[in-house]
Amino acid sequence: MIKRVEVQYRGIFQKNLGKYIGGDIVMIASRMGRVAFSNGRYSDAPERNGIPCKYFAFVSPDLSEEELEAECGAKLDIDAADVSLVVDDTMSKGVEPWGWHGIRPVNEKVGHKGCLLMVTRREHDDLVRFMAKKDYPYRLARLEGDASLAGLWVDKDDLTRERCLGAVAAVDPDVIGIEAVEEYLREKTGDENRVRAAREAYDATLRKNKVVSAGEGIDWPHEIPVLPKWHEFDEGGVVVPAVERGFQLGPRGQNRNEGFKHGTSKTERPVVRFDLCIKCTLCWADCPDECFDPTDDELYDVNYEVCTGCHKCAEVCPVKECIVMVDELQFENTDSPWEHHKKDPAGYIQWAEGKKGTKRIRYPHVTGTGVEISEGTTVPPKA
Amino acid sequence: MTVAEQVRIWDREELLTGCQAVSHAVKLSDVDVIAAYPIRPYTEVMDMLSKLIADGKLDAEYIIADSEHSQFEIVKHASSVGARAFAGSSGTGWMYGFEALVVTATDRLPPLFLVGNRALDDPGAFGVEHNDAMSLRDMGWLMCWASTAQEALEHVFIGYRVAEDKTVRMPMALAMDGAFLTHSQHMVKVPTEESVKRFLPPFDLGERRLHPDNPVSIAPQVNEDWVMELRRQNWEAARRARGVIKQAYEEFNAIFGMRYDNPYFSEFMTDDAEAVLIGIGAVAMPTRTACRRMREQGHKVGYVNLRWFRPFPTDELRECLGRFKGVGVIDRDFAHGSPDNGGILMHEVRSCLYPLRERPNVINFIGGLGGRDISIEECIKMYESTLAAGRGDVPEELVSWTGLRE
Ligand code: SF4
Ligand code: SF4
Repeated sequence: MIKRVEVQYRGIFQKNLGKYIGGDIVMIASRMGRVAFSNGRYSDAPERNGIPCKYFAFVSPDLSEEELEAECGAKLDIDAADVSLVVDDTMSKGVEPWGWHGIRPVNEKVGHKGCLLMVTRREHDDLVRFMAKKDYPYRLARLEGDASLAGLWVDKDDLTRERCLGAVAAVDPDVIGIEAVEEYLREKTGDENRVRAAREAYDATLRKNKVVSAGEGIDWPHEIPVLPKWHEFDEGGVVVPAVERGFQLGPRGQNRNEGFKHGTSKTERPVVRFDLCIKCTLCWADCPDECFDPTDDELYDVNYEVCTGCHKCAEVCPVKECIVMVDELQFENTDSPWEHHKKDPAGYIQWAEGKKGTKRIRYPHVTGTGVEISEGTTVPPKA
Repeated sequence: MTVAEQVRIWDREELLTGCQAVSHAVKLSDVDVIAAYPIRPYTEVMDMLSKLIADGKLDAEYIIADSEHSQFEIVKHASSVGARAFAGSSGTGWMYGFEALVVTATDRLPPLFLVGNRALDDPGAFGVEHNDAMSLRDMGWLMCWASTAQEALEHVFIGYRVAEDKTVRMPMALAMDGAFLTHSQHMVKVPTEESVKRFLPPFDLGERRLHPDNPVSIAPQVNEDWVMELRRQNWEAARRARGVIKQAYEEFNAIFGMRYDNPYFSEFMTDDAEAVLIGIGAVAMPTRTACRRMREQGHKVGYVNLRWFRPFPTDELRECLGRFKGVGVIDRDFAHGSPDNGGILMHEVRSCLYPLRERPNVINFIGGLGGRDISIEECIKMYESTLAAGRGDVPEELVSWTGLRE
């Protein structure tokens, strides 16, 4: 028997978290007399920003190490996961890990009766409404918590790691057992808080475990690209259709690489109050991903398909409450906000403020020093 | 009492990536000089070594170079003064330092290099391909592939042992498949310092050591008066290396237990086999599973995992492969425009088998380029064609591509 676990994490913000969980599973399984190893989908690259990436752990109670490796090693992806641990729930909108892969369902690899285990504060239905239908039932287990996002290569060490191990033990004890998780953490860290965090997550996850039936979810709206055969494109090493660049101010400026939109990198998106905009161009100029499209009325539309949610525009915008970052799972689509604003300016403001809510979260420049949450103000429409 | 009973052999079992395993082995080899320059997937080796030094666990000069060329020159020079030296690289980094790599061999200096195999740009690719390391195959290097993290760790010791041998003194390239091996985390047995010391004597360059008290000229302009004789010395060293390798593994096995019954390659299910596949590196994983499945269906197939590429184990491989009717060579590399447009390994294997009066039919598969994985299903297909070729049904095109969109 082989148990296959995938850890889906966000690029450089959760790289170490993903790797540590993969490694911990190997060590815990080994202590239980099982054979295990772990590897990553993209080794140490190209985990830019919050790009969805994967680590794997393979566990077997009866195969030799040689056999397990022969079955599972040297592969880029798995065919079916027994457990797919997703350490940030905004990935339920889809994952586009790399150019030409397309936006894929987060539950793509979850096998029949397998478990999608998600770190989230959302309810079951609130997650399933973003996820692709599957033609067989699987389990959706929820581990109550926020995504542990840290800076470049850093791990926040906020007990997410320990809690995930407890939750994995809850959803599939054939991967690792909770007692072994506890012993491992106790021996490794000598810290009872960590042991307790794993146990509490184990208990809680057992209670938040529900079946997603066959056909539940959405028809997947994104196309999975079919790449050309070797004789179907031009020779000369330039295999990627070139993207024409345009840097002039409007009208409706940039061209973009259709093969890699990387919008699934974001956990939050900028919501713009076009009525407050003073047309300073800063968001357009500073956005590292060239997401802003100049419009005929000198505003800047946002292309959410390519926005990586980096916060830069919200930071540089000089007008209070004009650009605010909002949780990505509040949004169903990537439609143009400017078109919405043009069609119905008053309705757009109301919609935007509804999405923004009242809380404004500021992330510190130094990871792990806590977030600052303040009350936002609702600026009235500008005449 | 055997040596194994006298000293504790294994210190601990630790979760390590392939890169980290190599770093720990470099530390245990008591290396004096490390030159570093980052390129994936090798980078994790330099990261780990710098951490070992920062943590006070390793005492070595750690020099960050401005490029691979300087990086390799630094270890070459360090080696010439008698320092045990280490460097590593991947893909184009290896090519960028090519001149320095060639002269390290012609100067007969024995530093060890880790090559985390990576496709050569352009276009950009992080994944494995073997052309980077193999480009040095004719330059007087020792070259060997590890196919697990444990093997990678152990071959740092074996590599230094062979390279530094008085009768060899050739630079050593220890290669491992990028991503699939460099970044895979395994439980690795790490030996004790004492056991490594027993196996690996201190580096002694003897009379050739460059030192103020021992002035020597290295690489003077010698032209047609000397070059040919020097090349012949290289040639002899590469010939002698085969014997030294054998001896090194015997010593290794005596201390660490019978880990390798054949230094040069390992055979999997080859007894009574009719046809075998042969390959290098991580492709051993899907091929072994495919082999098991074929055996379950009653097909007599096996797999040969080649470890040493330079020196090439001519006699041993000739004897081994000569037993079979069909041999399918898997190349994770290319040799465009070569005979039959086959891969590098295929040419080596075919040339090795040529003197046999009765030769197996050899066919060639090129696959897994740029880091694409080779699936178990593809391996089964390769077994089927090799079995057919062995029975006389040799395809018109001896070389086929596997896993290609066509
Ligand atoms: S958050 Fe703003 S600056 Fe960052 S990618 Fe998105 S639109 Fe551009
Ligand atoms: S930064 Fe703010 S004010 Fe300036 S153009 Fe962009 S949205 Fe308008």
